[in-house]
This record gives sequence, structure tokens and C-alpha cells, in this order.
Amino acid sequence: MSVLLQTGNFIVESLGAFVETSGFGAFFADGGWKFAVMIALACFLLYLAIKKQFEPLLLLPIAFGMLLTNLPGAEMFHSELFAGGHVHWDIFVDNAGLIDYLYLGVKLGIYPCLIFVGVGAMTDFGPLIANPKSFLLGAAAQLGIFATFLGAYALGFEPNECGSIGIIGGADGPTSIFLTARLAPELLGPIAIAAYSYMALVPVIQPPIMRALTTDAERKIKMSQLRQVSKTEKILFPVIIAVVISLLLPSAAPLVGCLMLGNLMKECGVVDRLSKTVQNELMNIVVIFLGISVGATATAGSFLNFKTLGILVLGILAFSCGTAGGVLLAKLMNLFAKEGKKINPLIGSAGVSAVPMAARVSQTVGQEYDKSNFLLMHAMGPNVAGVVGSAVAAGILLAFLG
Amino acid sequence: MDKFANVDWSEMLLMALIGFLLVFAVLVLLIFVMRAMGWFFTRDRKPKAAAATSSEPALDHAISDQELAAAIITALKLYKSNLHDQESEMITISRITRAYSPWNSKIHGLTQIPEKK
Repeated sequence: MSVLLQTGNFIVESLGAFVETSGFGAFFADGGWKFAVMIALACFLLYLAIKKQFEPLLLLPIAFGMLLTNLPGAEMFHSELFAGGHVHWDIFVDNAGLIDYLYLGVKLGIYPCLIFVGVGAMTDFGPLIANPKSFLLGAAAQLGIFATFLGAYALGFEPNECGSIGIIGGADGPTSIFLTARLAPELLGPIAIAAYSYMALVPVIQPPIMRALTTDAERKIKMSQLRQVSKTEKILFPVIIAVVISLLLPSAAPLVGCLMLGNLMKECGVVDRLSKTVQNELMNIVVIFLGISVGATATAGSFLNFKTLGILVLGILAFSCGTAGGVLLAKLMNLFAKEGKKINPLIGSAGVSAVPMAARVSQTVGQEYDKSNFLLMHAMGPNVAGVVGSAVAAGILLAFLG
Repeated sequence: MDKFANVDWSEMLLMALIGFLLVFAVLVLLIFVMRAMGWFFTRDRKPKAAAATSSEPALDHAISDQELAAAIITALKLYKSNLHDQESEMITISRITRAYSPWNSKIHGLTQIPEKK
């Protein structure tokens, strides 16, 4: 009988020890509910990516990275290896796991730049070269960055965090990740999720602001056809922009340089294989690594706090101010423009990057008021100017706060 | 962060203002660069275009693009409406030969004699 009791106790103790060491046991430990909340949130983001198709290419790996990092006991990501904003190389090799190694690409600013090579190879700067005034709209839409920068400070964030939160207004994922990894790496998870979620919501956020700030007559303005751009101009453009911006603002050189390298590969026409590779294979591989490692930084400790809530609120403010800035500057430019040279203010909203979705929104809203009005190509000018503008803004913030 | 311990509202406002103006300044500079490039590459086209139009009789510049498009569309419509199909004018019954046609097939008829088993 005693042997049976002893065996029973042994089995119960062994099972208890097993449950305690397993991930399931951690859910019932102190603060274990946070893991459950984060896993539920990751599943919700997976739902948004798969079912609602909100930026699925990035949201899906981000959500899965978030899921993996919040599985108690799995210890996929070690934030202590990157504590204090720099890599602790002395303990890295002994303690690092797969995601820690992948995260080095974010921490060292490699992935955002590689993605920019692909973005450059997929972007046609023709409408911007044909109408350089579009640069002004791209600059005005960066109002969202600086307004949010101040908004974040009002909410009690540190200046470096304000810069990282403000860059959400650039509506440019790689730029947001590049700057945040350098200024406020502890906010990388919430900022990346806010940036990509709001980018997916551009067709919902922008139209009401565009309608509120424009009159019926302004929305029906038809713009004159853009001039043809020669191949030589398209080849010279990336070289000139890379040189001018890198000399003016060295901190923006990695982003702008990579963007223009990709564009040169596309436009020169002699390295088609490279151009196709950076547009497809390289971009896709980097997106997977970037998504998983950024998602992995969204641990329960760094995500479930009031800062995240503040970032989500400020993200909306950033997008809204950026949209309003572009539209209002287009209206201002019309005050000085001759008849026949007026700008449809709806294209101003495309100055926030979010290529090409923001340009499509301008086209869709324009066509609601005049079916024969085609704004897409005109909106692509401010749209790609916004990419350059947000990279410049990131460089400026990095120079100020880095 | 200790680095930002002494930062106050006035500095933040100044930083935001200077940052925003710098973005504008850099992109305005790019406008001038692009305009200069555009001028350089289109300067040859303009004299050629001017020479081509000067040898032709002067057009009424009051004609708008829409009127021009309407005129072209009308001319095309009139031209197409005057076109006729070219027909062979031979009216004959074409003989069609088919290897097999089931329309009067005995196999499918109702008068088949049932098989005896």
C-alpha cells in the first residue's frame, strides 16, 4: 500500500514539476496573464493580415514574431542583449537565439536600407521629374511628423521617443524602423505595428480629411498632362538626388542612397537581373526577417503599457496632420497659380508616403466627383516626393536627437 | 535619458520648426535642381517644336483641347460610317461533307430489334 502511495506521490510531483516548467505553467504565475493578452493580440493581428488583408506582407510576419516571442519559456528573443540601445557583444554569442541574430539586421539598420533598394527599384519617379513642384507637397505632408513630435512631448515622452513616434507620420515603414532602432529601440514593436496598421488604413483615414478641407470645385480641378521624361533624365535623377541629399544631410544618406541605387538599377536598363532580384527575392527575404524580428520586440513587458496606447493615438494624429498639410499647401499654391496651371488639392494628401496607396486614394476620391478626372499620375509625384521627404525628415531627427 | 534632461518646450518647438523648415529647404533645393535638369533636357525640343509650327498656317489658339478631341472623334466617326464591308457577291450553297452525322442514324432509331439473350 505504501509503495502505491509513494508511486502516486512521485507521479503527482513529477507532473507538477513538468507543468511548472512548461509554458502553460507560466500563464498561472504572477503576471502570466500578460502573455495570454499578447498572444491574443498576435492572433488578432494575424486575423487582420489574413482575413482583412491589412498590409499582409509585413503584418503577418510581425504578428507571428509577436506570437513566438510571447510564448512563455520559449525565450526566442532576449531584450537584455540589446539593453541600453546597443548590442552587448560580450554575452551575445553565448546567449543569443535565432531571432536575436535576425534582429541584428534591424538594430544595425540593414533591413530598412535593403527594403529601400527594392522600393527604389519598384518606383517610377517620372511624374516627380516631370513636375518638380510635387516636392513641395511631399514636404508639406511631413507636417504630421513634426506635429506628432510635439504631441508626443506633450504626453510626456522623452525627446528621442518623440522623434521615433513622430516619424510614424511619414507613413513609411522602413524609415520608421530605421529611426526607431536608433533613437528608441524599446518602442520598436508598438511603433512598427502602429505605422503598418495605419498605412493599411490610409483609405479610411484620409478621405474624410480630404473632403473636409476642399470645396466641390477644387475637387473637380483637372490638371494638365505631364510632360514626357527622357530616359537620360530618369537615369540622372537617382544619381543627382543621392549626391545632393547625402552631401546636405549625411544622416539620411543610407536611406536615400539605397532608394536611389534601386531606382538606378531599374532605370538604367542594363542590370535587369539585379533589378528583378531586389524587387522580388531580396525584398521578400528581408521582409520576412524584418517582420519576425520587429514582431519579436513586442514583448508583454514592452508592449502592455500606457506608452503603447499613447503611440497608437499619436499615430492617427500623425497621419491626419500629414494629410491635412499636403492638402492645405496645394490650396495655398493654387492662390498663386495661373488658370489652367492649378493643382487639384486632392493630390496633396498623397504627400504622406504610403506608396502607392495614398495616390490611389487621391484618384478614387477625385473620381467620386468627376468620373473623367484622372489624378493617379499627378498624385504619384507628391507620393514619391513623400518617400524622399520622410527619409530627409528621419535624417534631420537623427542629426538632432541621435 | 540624461542627454535630454535639460530639454524644455521652447527647445522642442524650435527643433520641430527648424526640422520642418529644413525638410522644405532641402526639397526646394531639389526642385531647382530638377528644374535645371528639365530645362537642359527640353531646351532642344522647344525650338524644334516652334520651327515645326511656324512653317504651318497659324491656327486659332482659342480652340480648346476638348473641341479638338471632339473634331477628331467626329471625323473618325464619319469616316468609319462611310466604310462598307467588301462582299464576294457569289451566292451559292456551300457543300459541306461530314464523315459521320447521326441525324438519321439507324443505331439511334426506335425500330431497333431488341437483342435476344
